[in-house]
Amino acid sequence: MKIQTHGDNLSTYTKYIALIQAIHEYLQTNGYLQLDLPVLSPALIPEGYLEVFETEFRYMNRKEKLYLTPSPELFIKRLLAEGVGDCYYLGKSFRNSEPNSPKHLPEFTMLEMYKVRENYRYMAQVVRKMLEFTAKKIHGKDSITYNGKKIDLTRWEELTVAEAFEKYSGVSTEELFDTNKFLKKAEEKGYRTEGFTYEDLWSQMYTQEIEPYLGTDGHPTMLFDYPVCFAALSTPNTDGKTAQRFEFYIEGVELGNCYSELTDADLQDKRLADEYEERKKSGKIDHPIDKGFVDALRKGLPVSTGIAIGVERVGMVMLDLVSIEDLKLITIS
Amino acid sequence: MAVQAGNLKKGEFIMYQSDIWQVQKTEFYSPGKGAALMRTKIKNVSSGKTVDYTFKSNEFIETIEVNSIEMQYLYKDAENAIFMDQQSYNQYEVPLEMVGEIIQFFKEGEVMYVYVHDEKPLSVRPPASVTLKIIQTDSAARGDTVGNAKKEAEVETGAKVMVPLFIKQGEIITINPETGEYTGRASQGS
Repeated sequence: MKIQTHGDNLSTYTKYIALIQAIHEYLQTNGYLQLDLPVLSPALIPEGYLEVFETEFRYMNRKEKLYLTPSPELFIKRLLAEGVGDCYYLGKSFRNSEPNSPKHLPEFTMLEMYKVRENYRYMAQVVRKMLEFTAKKIHGKDSITYNGKKIDLTRWEELTVAEAFEKYSGVSTEELFDTNKFLKKAEEKGYRTEGFTYEDLWSQMYTQEIEPYLGTDGHPTMLFDYPVCFAALSTPNTDGKTAQRFEFYIEGVELGNCYSELTDADLQDKRLADEYEERKKSGKIDHPIDKGFVDALRKGLPVSTGIAIGVERVGMVMLDLVSIEDLKLITIS
Repeated sequence: MAVQAGNLKKGEFIMYQSDIWQVQKTEFYSPGKGAALMRTKIKNVSSGKTVDYTFKSNEFIETIEVNSIEMQYLYKDAENAIFMDQQSYNQYEVPLEMVGEIIQFFKEGEVMYVYVHDEKPLSVRPPASVTLKIIQTDSAARGDTVGNAKKEAEVETGAKVMVPLFIKQGEIITINPETGEYTGRASQGS
């Protein structure tokens, strides 16, 4: 990898910084406390499908493994249990084993915000208002142009995941939530199913047949209620099949992911053990499980909703760029 | 040879649904649950049709061995670009859809590499750079000379490129044929 400077991006960069300031302004005006958090941690929340960066603290003959945080969640949940209230982190997060692409950098800027005593539907409204506010700040209007298309930020499409599968893939609700029927449907559609799980094929079909069309009708799309297995950190819905998670998209670009946070410590504990096993099975870096995070839940995580937003992606869409690297003055690639 | 989809690279040829396809674009994508994915754009070498297909990154894909053979570009007709093998003097027709947009930068007589599989030409390996003469461009307009101001220029193959204001008619420039971007001055020309 090489260090590259991009002096040409200076004017875009200036607008990107104005966008970040607008986000801070919106959140602080609405009572969210900005959190300054570490990015190095001795333990992490295990995530089965995500690789981390490992480093080491050294002093004299003492050595201790540290890991760059793939998300600030482990810190914020502790603080929520301590009663910090509505809050957000806007800063770096790190994900390994994914190559640089127009939509991804291993080191990226994440906005993670939490609202207590509310659920994901409330957060959906916050996101809408925040994007409208930031567009007005940087463009002076509540619409943007991206991919040669005008995107109206005052009108949002709302779909459930089941509705989206029906609409774009012709997969019925019954087929979607029944593993055998879903695998059969995938096979009929020509997907290779041998040796692949429901989760593998679900993601493949979602990425191939649904995602590219989300948010492409001149306004953003919010997709609600993912199958429980794709929303392990969120509160289950009463239908027993889905959980309270939403994502939002503009022109097929995923910009954020929200949960009504899971507050059940036992369930969380079990989930972490499963994820830890998944990591071990796939030969990922063996980092300690952050037990303090589960203890925080036991202490009592207030009912809350949290969202993670890719800030560079929002910048790319808001400023009509081809790649998130177009926002950067320096890149490592 | 079978490779995992996560290792596919732009330009490679694969066997998919009993047809040969050339990989045009790849994007690794981790959905956070389940296998990571490889989003691709692939082009069917028989029909020229391009489709988007998302593979699971750990899925094995059959890649096709191709030879790159040095050939001279002779001319094009309505459907094909015609090349001649420098050693055997055999002529090969490569469908224009497979050559793609880069053909606008090919000068007759230039030597480049053609991908051949089982005696069938599949596509052309894009040269890293082409050197072409400017046959038409306005002399620099006064005024906007700060920053990265560009003007349109026509090169000898008839293609249009954006060049810096200081470039004059008759100069020889280098172009990246894949992006169509001006990359530098080859000489002062005449």
